[in-house]
Parts: sequence; structure tokens; C-alpha cells
Amino acid sequence: MQQIGIRRRTQRWLRNSLPFWLILPTVLILLTIQVYPALYTIWLSFQERKPTGWSFVGWANFKRLFGMGLFGESVGHTFVFLLGYAGLTLVLGFVIALLLNRKLRFSGFYVTLLFIPWIIADIIVGIVFRLLVVPDYGLLSGILQNPALFPPNGLSVLTAVPPRPWLGDFPFPPAPAMIYLILAAAWRALPFVTLLLLAAMQTIPREILESSRIDGANRGQVIRYIVIPLILPTLVVAIFSLTLSGMNGVGMVFSLTGGGPGSSTEVLSYMLYSIGWRQLEFGRAAALALIIAAVNWLLIGGTLRLTGVEERSR
Amino acid sequence: MFTPSPRRVESWLVNAALILICFFALVPIATTVLISFKGERDIIRNPPNILPCDTPERAFDIRECRWALEGYRRVLSPKPSNGLLSVALTGNIVRVYIPNSFFYATTTALLVVLLAGMAGYAFSRYRFRGHRFLLVSILAITGVPLLTNLLALFQMGAVLRKAQLPFYDDRLYLVLVYLGFFLPLSVWIAKGFFDTIPRDLDEAALIDGCSPLGALLRVILPLAFPGLMAIFLLTFVNVWNEFIAGYLLVAKNEFKPVMFGLYEFLGQNIINLQVVAAACILIALPIVVVFIFARRAFFAAMIEGAVKG
Repeated sequence: MQQIGIRRRTQRWLRNSLPFWLILPTVLILLTIQVYPALYTIWLSFQERKPTGWSFVGWANFKRLFGMGLFGESVGHTFVFLLGYAGLTLVLGFVIALLLNRKLRFSGFYVTLLFIPWIIADIIVGIVFRLLVVPDYGLLSGILQNPALFPPNGLSVLTAVPPRPWLGDFPFPPAPAMIYLILAAAWRALPFVTLLLLAAMQTIPREILESSRIDGANRGQVIRYIVIPLILPTLVVAIFSLTLSGMNGVGMVFSLTGGGPGSSTEVLSYMLYSIGWRQLEFGRAAALALIIAAVNWLLIGGTLRLTGVEERSR
Repeated sequence: MFTPSPRRVESWLVNAALILICFFALVPIATTVLISFKGERDIIRNPPNILPCDTPERAFDIRECRWALEGYRRVLSPKPSNGLLSVALTGNIVRVYIPNSFFYATTTALLVVLLAGMAGYAFSRYRFRGHRFLLVSILAITGVPLLTNLLALFQMGAVLRKAQLPFYDDRLYLVLVYLGFFLPLSVWIAKGFFDTIPRDLDEAALIDGCSPLGALLRVILPLAFPGLMAIFLLTFVNVWNEFIAGYLLVAKNEFKPVMFGLYEFLGQNIINLQVVAAACILIALPIVVVFIFARRAFFAAMIEGAVKG
């Protein structure tokens, strides 16, 4: 009798605590790989490595970071990059999604072809685009380096010096290498945004579109007053996730431009790498990481608010 | 007389536009394939020619095309050997880096499927204290990029390496890091997939005398299999394509993944474009082939994940 009672109780205990055991490994891994390092980075940003070990230096890392001329410039580069990258990807993605959002005989075929870039690693995308513009030998260089098109000497994308900025130090207009980097990044992100917007467009009931056409709205008006408002939350999510991926993607900069020519494509994510692993200034790099992370958290918070995940997580 | 209806014309125009877009989407890939099959003397032509098919007399002659496998030969560097195939591929990319990445991607993807399946099932079927808090926290973590945590992870890795634990090396650590970064999204995707399986099925199994774990293994798991497969593929591709963590967190070159191998290769072959192009093709091809055959699974996982952040 006693034995059976204990067995029952253990069984019931196991049954009631099953979700706990199912979730525990995930939570432990996330605590070690995500939460602890985040706290560690905060600690690190107030430290400096001395021959005797780490020592507390207060806000000195942040002060020195802001004191670097490259920091302000890099913020400018990041801003230009994000604006171009998110803007271009969003506009093109919207247009392609509109084209695909109808009954088409070959839509499966188009979707498969269009989506191949998304599956290719950013490092490889960088190399693929680099091969096109290698000075003298790249296939695009043959066109771009033609002096008749770009006087006086033709345009060598990866080595051309950036134009003189219009407003103080803000790096606009961007260097040709930056424009090219934006094109490459947009090329890779386009499928993702297209699919996201297409999925949102397909949730719009056909009746709404048809009745608005019957009421005399032309195509532009339907897009402007019906499609865009209805997919607005998805558009915002797309902007946020593009900004996130653009801020933190570093592989393409590595393999396409390496931050150059000069520092004209040095964005914040690449700067984090070069302060941390080239100059081995971990304290200062941690300060920069915290700044990037703060922007990330703002974006994530905004996305969570907008998608109303709280309700769906019941 | 045949006059196409406006609807017909529109459909033609849309198809034409999409074909044009597909063309532009594939130009960079097509040129890379072209470059990878050129010989050295066609690579260093100035001005460059698109197809290596010109003769002194004519701009294009299909019989004079000089396609070459030189690029691939230099990536693979086959040497005769006494083994089973009588040829051994000795290039570092195929000998060291691709097997490494295959190991990382398979291990991580299997563990992610297991853990995300468990957690996703629990979140989908049970309500407990902290349910909402945990789910939203996991989602918030999903957005955190690897980049900002990398400094701390690097330091942690260095400390672990110094401790010289038995059976421990950087490979284990890298798998753990990948797990930490690809799990959160997968938990959400898995929860989404489990939510689509009717709850009545579990209850029926329980009434018929299954234990909760038995119900999960015998009834729910077979139904959730396509979803778990999608998570496996997505994680596999993510790990295969990852560069910066593999590059920085692993000390020994012989343990580094393939994207590092490619980056190193780029530095060694600045002029030999055909070799670099061939390496890119060899590394990307398996992924692209898998994607073409399993694109539905990818899209399902992607939409499920993207809508949530």
C-alpha cells in the first residue's frame, strides 16, 4: 500500500512538473549565453585591462570612445547605410510583393528564384559583389571604369575616394563603396522583406479590394488608402528588423570593403570588431557594444509593442 | 482579328516584370558561376569579357570557348592516393572547413530541434506561473544580435580554455553559443507549430491511457514533424552561414567553420578570381540545393518567425 502511494505521488509530481523540466534546459542555455554575457559587457565597459588585471575606470571608456573622431564618423556611416538599405529594400520589396500578390501561373517558380539570395551567406554575398568590381578585371569594372561614363578617370568602386561632404562632417553624399555596399546588402535582404509583405498582403480580404474598385477607386488609391494602412504594422516590423540586421550585420563589410577605402564604409558594427580585436581595447569596445545594444533594445521593444505579441503569448 | 483582353495584357506585363526582376536577382550569382569556369588568362583580361569565347577574328564563337576547371581544381587540389577513390581532396576548404561546418550545423540543429521542441510543446500546452513573462523574454532575446555579446563570450571562452577541463574544446563552446543564439526564435516557431495541432488529440491520447510524455512522443510528435524539420533546416542554414562567432571564438584554425576558411581564402587569392568564385560556389551550392527542394519548409518557418520579430 505504502509503496503504491509513493509511486502515485511521484508520478503526479512528475506530471505536474513536466513543463518545468521541458523548459529548464532552454532557460539555462539562454541565461549562460545571452543574459550573463550582457551583464558581463556592462561590467566590462567600466574596466580597463592593466598588466595586473582589470581595474575600474568609471566612465573613462565612454569618454575616450566619444573623443575618437572615428566614432562620430562611424555613426554617420551607419545612419547613411541604414537609411539607404532599409529604404531601398522596403520600396523594392513592396513593389515585388504587389506584383506577386495575384493569381499567377508561375508564382512558385518566381518565388523560388527570387529567394535564392536570401539563403546565401553574407560573407559570400560580399565576395560575389566584390568579384564584379575588382579593379580592372571585374565584369562591372569594365563598364564603370570607362572614362566616358565617369569622367575623368572612370569609377573604381572599391578605391574611389568619398566626395566632399555637404554638411560639416556628416558623410553625405556617400562614397561609391558605401552605395555599392548598400546595393549588396539590399540584394540579400530583399527576399525576406518581399515575403513578409506578401504574407501581410494576402491577409487582406479580397472583398475589400473588390468593393473599393467598384466604388471607383483607381489602383493608386487602392494601394494608398487600403493596402498600405492594412499592412502598416508589418511595414513597421519590416523597418525595425531591417534596421536591426543592418546595424549588426558585419560579414558583408568584412568581405566586400573591409571598412575602406579609408574609413568610408566603417559602420559601428565593424568599428566594434576593430576596436575589440585589432586594437584589443576590450573596455572601450564594450562601451560601444552597450551603445549598439541600447539601440537594439529600443527597436526590439518597439517591435514587441507593435506586433501585440503580449496578447498572442496568452 | 485577335485582340487580347486588358486582363491578358496586364498578366503578360506582370510576368515580364517578374522575369526581369528574377534576372537581376540572379545576375550576381550567374556571373560568379561564369567566373568560376574561366581560365587564368581570361580572368586577367582588361577590359574584361563576359564569356571566354572570343577569337582574334570574332567577338563570339561557340566552338572556341575556353571553359576551365582550374578554379575548382585549385580549391579541391586533388592528389592521387591509395584510398578507396584513388583520389584524395586535399584543399583546406574541403578537407578541414566544410566537415567542421557540417559538424557544427548538424549538432546545433539537432539540439535546437530537441530543446525547442520540448520548450515549444510546454509553452503551447501548459499554463503555469511565469508563462507569459518567459515567452515574452525569450522573444525579446530573439532580437539580440550576436555582435554585442561577442566581447563577453570571447572572454568567457578564453577563461574556459585556460581551465583545461577534460573533454572540453572550443568546438563544444561554439555549439553552445550557436544554441544560445538560434534557440529563442526556434522556441517561438515550435510553439506556433504546436498551437496548430488540436488539443483534443492529446486529450484523446491521455484518456486512452497514454502518459503525458507518451502522448507527446506517439501522437503529437509525428504531427509536428514537418514543423520540426523546418526548424532543423533553418538552424542548419543559419549556422552554416554564420561568420563572426566562428571566426573569433575558436582559437585553433583547424576547428574553425567554413566561412572563416572562405575569408582566409579570399586573402590568399586576391588576383585569382576564378579560385575564389569556385570556392563560393562549392560552399553555397549544398545550401541552395536543399533550399530549392525544401522551400516550403523554409517559408513556413520564416513567416512563423518573422511575424513575431
